[in-house]
Amino acid sequence: MLGDIITPDLFASAFRMATPLALAAIGGTICERSGVVNIALEGIMLTGAFFGTAAVLATGSPWFGVLMAMVAGVVISAIHAFASVNLKADQVVSGTAINLLALGVTGFLMERWYGHPGTTDPIKTLGPILRLTAEGGGFLGEVWRWVNGIFLTHTPIVYITVLIAIFAQWAIYNTRWGLRLRAMGEHPRAVDTVGVNVYRGRWVAVLMSGALAGLAGANLTIEQVGSFTENMTNGRGFIALAANIFGRWTALGSYGASLLFGLADGLQIKLQILRDVIRIPPQFFLMLPYVLTVVVLAGVIGRAVAPAAVGEPYEKKG
Amino acid sequence: MPVLELREITKVFPGVIANERVSLELEKGEIVALLGENGAGKTTLMNVVYGLLSADGGEILMDGEPAKIKSPRQAIDHGIGMVHQHFMLVEPLTVTENIVLGREPGRLGVIDFKIARERVIEISQRYGLKIDPDARIEDLSVGMQQRVEILKALFQGARVLILDEPTAVLTPQEVRELFGVVRSLVDEGLSVVFITHKLEEVMAVADRIVVMRDGRVVGETRPEDTDEIGLARMMVGRDVVLRVEKPVSTCGDTVLEVSDLHADDERGLEAVKGVSFSVCGGEVVAVAGVSGNGQTELVDCIVGLRRPTGGTMHLKGKDITHASARSSIEAGVSHIPEDRHRRGLVLEFDLAENLILGDHRTPPYSTRGLLHPKAVTTMARKRIDDYDVRTPSEKVIASNLSGGNQQKLVVAREIGRDPELLVAAQPTRGLDVGAIEFVHRQILDERAEGKAVLLVSLELEEVLSLADRILVMYEGRIVREFTADEADEETLGYYMTGGGGVKLDDDARQAGPIESGGDA
Repeated sequence: MLGDIITPDLFASAFRMATPLALAAIGGTICERSGVVNIALEGIMLTGAFFGTAAVLATGSPWFGVLMAMVAGVVISAIHAFASVNLKADQVVSGTAINLLALGVTGFLMERWYGHPGTTDPIKTLGPILRLTAEGGGFLGEVWRWVNGIFLTHTPIVYITVLIAIFAQWAIYNTRWGLRLRAMGEHPRAVDTVGVNVYRGRWVAVLMSGALAGLAGANLTIEQVGSFTENMTNGRGFIALAANIFGRWTALGSYGASLLFGLADGLQIKLQILRDVIRIPPQFFLMLPYVLTVVVLAGVIGRAVAPAAVGEPYEKKG
Repeated sequence: MPVLELREITKVFPGVIANERVSLELEKGEIVALLGENGAGKTTLMNVVYGLLSADGGEILMDGEPAKIKSPRQAIDHGIGMVHQHFMLVEPLTVTENIVLGREPGRLGVIDFKIARERVIEISQRYGLKIDPDARIEDLSVGMQQRVEILKALFQGARVLILDEPTAVLTPQEVRELFGVVRSLVDEGLSVVFITHKLEEVMAVADRIVVMRDGRVVGETRPEDTDEIGLARMMVGRDVVLRVEKPVSTCGDTVLEVSDLHADDERGLEAVKGVSFSVCGGEVVAVAGVSGNGQTELVDCIVGLRRPTGGTMHLKGKDITHASARSSIEAGVSHIPEDRHRRGLVLEFDLAENLILGDHRTPPYSTRGLLHPKAVTTMARKRIDDYDVRTPSEKVIASNLSGGNQQKLVVAREIGRDPELLVAAQPTRGLDVGAIEFVHRQILDERAEGKAVLLVSLELEEVLSLADRILVMYEGRIVREFTADEADEETLGYYMTGGGGVKLDDDARQAGPIESGGDA
């Protein structure tokens, strides 16, 4: 039975499931490193998913859909940036408002544009880049089957995400932008006193998180599902936030944590298929990623230290 | 030609004129001390120079040219650096990262950390400021962090360096080192503005002294033309008694009786190890000691904020060993806590609300659980008046007062309650001479009224000038008792640091089993 569960397919699905989480989590990392809490990831992802789908339905081009998903993410995250940076609003309240807004707007436009609630028509999706055959016998053939199955069967955004994680990790620790980003989330006044504009830095960070969460939405619809369903993000934005914390506010850590959540998700699907054999109600498996989130946030990983100034609006003096 | 010249700078905050037509000149290679009480407008003035605040009038000249400084970036570009009282360092980042922040060397946005590190080392060697460029700020001592701040300003190309109350957080050793650093900076051609309210520092380090009071420059002098008393007079605007005179104590009935008191600290380690003493009416008893020798825990026990693990305490014969903070107040104990921000005041409350704390259940201020705002306001106005708290009204939020006025507010509440016993823990910490004199006078007034005063202080000068009897506390025990005329700073210092053959056998025995348990 174990052989039915532990298959190349399981690990491949871990990568697939991890992708939207990782994108949003890296967005969260960038945003929180700048000192702005972003619990709006969920809503931004949903917005990206919807507008991405709408763009594909309108033009027939999946890549245009991906672009529009990111643009939509940036636009809606601008609300969060304006509220938390300029208006100095409570960032949790602003984020919650955006989550509710996203749910409402996508549901409303769904009815307006397509005449019915629920799910849109199927769209043209982005398929796997490589389609290699997994034939051959013997030990080498088996190894090839696993490598191909796990790593080489994915859609473009899955690979783009890996590159983004590596690049973001490098950039946060090696570039001017990264140093200033890390500093402004810890001690914004220190950054201000050396002549760096904290407001602008935070704006950029929030918009970047919007673009990444929008891309996550595109991955969900244009690569994975092939249509948009109301509230289809289903808490992924919050799991991404947990992955960011689990990954200790680093891009690669976020990716690693997302992989773990992705694996839990993949396992859950596998176990559901095998539910007749193991006789456990499928609801328990559905809980798996969420239980993992709670366990992680309850501090199993030890105390994670957030950026010191996260959630605090920065106010210039008189 | 002066490097930096300020012409008639004016800065107005809502309701307050922080700077009124202030002019100042700074020559190349000069150390100017900007002296004044807390709230005199020194920091505001320098924040204007550094571009953190924008002036409402006047102009700034660098090398004789008018300089437009609207942001720190422009100040830096003009060669002005500032070391703030609260450091502007990012704790989890390294020394190098902090120093280059905002001016990172590199190409295409990628930081060249090798060059950055080399430049930091180069500057640190040139000015003799040794530092580990790879250390994290959070791992450095306060003195070292200040050194990073100075290096940061130098890295940014500062020719004029503003030091805002740089010694407030330093140990005496570190202060001496800082003075050395400042002199070597000036030898290298920099100019320094040194903001302080401490007279002896001004005398030690400044070439020229500019004194501010109530937002205006009230005088200018040189160390060789004046002395501390003269400076204090300029600063406060009247004669200041640096050392108070007091009549001989007339010891009345015993007010506080502590016997064999034991107490633990937050970590559960015994911090007070069997302390016995008494304080009588009309007497000031001081507990002297280096910070962290059990004074805090002792005070907490007496005012009902900590439960003793052994021993007894009596107030006028009444057992208060297990009294809560509330019943301790009701029994007649007042407490000036050592940390006025965390324990003395609710900073977000207005002055009247702060003044009623602790009396908020007592008529006439409240009956049957309801406050009577009129009675509270009347009381607040009277206290603010009696204790000279400088404020436009009792409706002002406490955090808007200067440190000295905040402390006066705490004193007003605690002494205004007319207690039997006043417990004053470091009542003058961070205050300037005028405010210190005021607090000292209040404490001695209590003594003259026949009240008992227990003073806990790290300042030996304060202990010596106020106390009738001095208890030296070391490692949770009272190791020596002096009358006021027996003691001097040297003797006290000797016993405070464990001199005089203090027996610590008990500790050794207690520690023994734990250690062997750990080995096994």
